[in-house]
Amino acid sequence: MSQQATGRILTPFNAIAGALILLGGGITLYRFLYGLGAATNLTHLNPWGLWIGFDVMTGVVLAAGGYVISTAVYIFGMKEYKPIVRPAILTGFIGYFLVVVGLVIDLGRPWRLPYPFVVQAGPTSALFEIALCVALYLTTLFVETTPAAFEWLGWKRWRKVVGAMTIAMTIFGLILSTLHQSTLGAMYLITPTKLHPLWYSSHIPIHFFLSSVVSGLSMVIFESMLSHRVFHDQVELSKEQFDNITIGLGKAASIALAIYFVVKVMGVALDDDWHYLATGWGAWFLVELLGFVLLPCILYAVGFRERRAGLIRLTGLWTVIGIILNRLNISIIAFNWQLPSEARYVPHWMEIAVTISIVTFGLVMFRWIANRMPIMHEHPEYKGMH
Amino acid sequence: MSISRRGFLGGLAAGAGALTATKKAHGGGGTRDFPGYPGRFGLLHDTTLCVGCRSCELACSEVNHLPAPSLPLKDPKVFDVRRELSDKQLTVVNRYREAGDGKPAVYRKQQCMHCNEPCCASVCFVRAFTKTPEGPVLYDPSVCVGCRYCVMACPYYALSYEYDEPWTPRVMRCTMCYDRIKDNKQPGCAEACPMGAITFGRREELITVARERIRKHPERYIDHVFGEHEFGGTSWMVLAGIPFEELQLPAGATHTPLPELTSGFLGVVPLVLSIYPGLLLGIYAFTQRKERMSQEELNSAVAEAMERADEETRQKLAAATAKATKDRDKAIQLAVKKALAGEEKKRKEAAAAAGEAGETK
Amino acid sequence: MHTLQEFMTHTKSIAYVLGGLALLGFIAYWLFLTDRQPRK
Repeated sequence: MSQQATGRILTPFNAIAGALILLGGGITLYRFLYGLGAATNLTHLNPWGLWIGFDVMTGVVLAAGGYVISTAVYIFGMKEYKPIVRPAILTGFIGYFLVVVGLVIDLGRPWRLPYPFVVQAGPTSALFEIALCVALYLTTLFVETTPAAFEWLGWKRWRKVVGAMTIAMTIFGLILSTLHQSTLGAMYLITPTKLHPLWYSSHIPIHFFLSSVVSGLSMVIFESMLSHRVFHDQVELSKEQFDNITIGLGKAASIALAIYFVVKVMGVALDDDWHYLATGWGAWFLVELLGFVLLPCILYAVGFRERRAGLIRLTGLWTVIGIILNRLNISIIAFNWQLPSEARYVPHWMEIAVTISIVTFGLVMFRWIANRMPIMHEHPEYKGMH
Repeated sequence: MSISRRGFLGGLAAGAGALTATKKAHGGGGTRDFPGYPGRFGLLHDTTLCVGCRSCELACSEVNHLPAPSLPLKDPKVFDVRRELSDKQLTVVNRYREAGDGKPAVYRKQQCMHCNEPCCASVCFVRAFTKTPEGPVLYDPSVCVGCRYCVMACPYYALSYEYDEPWTPRVMRCTMCYDRIKDNKQPGCAEACPMGAITFGRREELITVARERIRKHPERYIDHVFGEHEFGGTSWMVLAGIPFEELQLPAGATHTPLPELTSGFLGVVPLVLSIYPGLLLGIYAFTQRKERMSQEELNSAVAEAMERADEETRQKLAAATAKATKDRDKAIQLAVKKALAGEEKKRKEAAAAAGEAGETK
Repeated sequence: MHTLQEFMTHTKSIAYVLGGLALLGFIAYWLFLTDRQPRK
């Protein structure tokens, strides 16, 4: 499917992707010409919609694979996962880049985005910390992506310079990720009357951080499955090696989900919210907790025990869906839960279109880079140096 | 604002529950109390006096140069639907209980509460909000980035946003007529109210006034001054003759200011910054050390194996050489023997032939 | 300092600056600690 293989630009995928990206671009222009009200269903009661709930909040958690895998490989020395570090970092970089794109489209005055750092800071705000960390982390991910680019360009000295920074960047990335992944949850600490009690907890930051580990691992399992197929002509791993990596990731994901599950149950106990479980919202909460946390935990464990890479890959996709569900629950669905139905938020089709367009753009970026730079394979002149 | 009563009760119970379960957030302020600026102003809204004339809405729109309320003031059908605050309407009066049983209808005016510890100020990452010493919370649109976290965070849904402005959207809310206050005048709504349902004055004095009214007419009022303590207290306080929950006000909510919940967690940030670098480098060094040691162990095991292999080989070689030497010696001896035996045989045969020849002569 | 908001703004501003300095300082410290170790 790689462009280099066929040389054709007008493939069906490219045509559809191009159309989606153009549509998103057009709507974005419309949003900036006529205001947010014209392109969204945001209201004074619901100031944050799909662009914050999905593009920003879900986008950040789905891009967590970068810090998880790089920490495993470079800090904990788990060299067997080296083949997937670069794809994970690339996913992370593109993911955070898309988050910023989505944010810029949602902000009322995006050209003022640097203001908290250069004009007037609001350090009491969780959002201040998030803005600072995301800006720094995007830079860090960019630097972590440059080794592949420099190898492709043949800039040996630059390659050496950024290569020497790997450990420092990994540590910095882990610090920043711990901070902003948890603080995205902390943004909701100040709204105990608006977020449904089953999702609200004084431990929400911990929930967000743990689920970011789950999300990172599951996204890497899912993304590596897709990349392995799409870029199979580049991949140098044997099927057995690749399966072993998947199975190892599945074990880690199972453990992370187990911890997350216990912490979430503790959260219910802490606030004595058991009685909410018997309500409609409680049923929905249990769907998320049992169907998308406990179940994948068990499936991953079974997949690991029986060495079934296929089961683990399926579970990866299922878990990613569960993470998306969780973030949407907290930002849109269970937020303002007590407002009457006519006042509840439903995304405008334009919001959905822009979101799809942004994701499509990310896929195209990934493919372009992976087709040219040594992401899925080692550059022959740098073998063993990755 | 249309919020179902059951839902709101649930929300406030949840809020109270969550907050009591949280260990008191001392991420900031330690054990200090922050009484706020002394002598600051406030407003007392006595809903038992409000008749729903909406003169306050009209006055507010005039003072703020906003379009007058579109629906006619005198039309009681206005109250059939709950109206919300908006970027064009900074205050709104709603009916919360219809007239009946010989009792008049109950109305309440809704607007920004100008909290003692405002959520909007706490969550703004460009510090666009300020709690002034005079009491009003002010908004500075010149730094606003339009993230709308303030709109999202306000527990009173008091903030609105100009979604229809593409280039200069602002957050819109009641300003407590700050400029008028600085000019020694009353806020527009307080001045316009013909029934005295809005009283402007020093917050501390208004609390006394409110308590006094309750004391004088206990049959008329619920014994509670809303806003005195809820969420840390507000500048706008409310008296009511019907339960506050019916007025969509979270009476009985925690006295903890909501910003304390955030600040409790944000105290973790410096901890992560201080601990992670050393901890992670330590783990990295530890992993490197383990790897180095296991590599060294591997190397020495190989060297040892090689040495042992050398020794064995040498011994084998010596044994093989010894054997080969022995075999060779044996073979030589055998050959010599054979040769000697052959020679002997030849000599004997030659002698025998010579003997025969000698006899025949 | 009359309000919690003022107090928080003050303390957190200092905390962020200190945090940044600590990170930079830590890098310098680590280099100082390890620069005589044989590099592989």
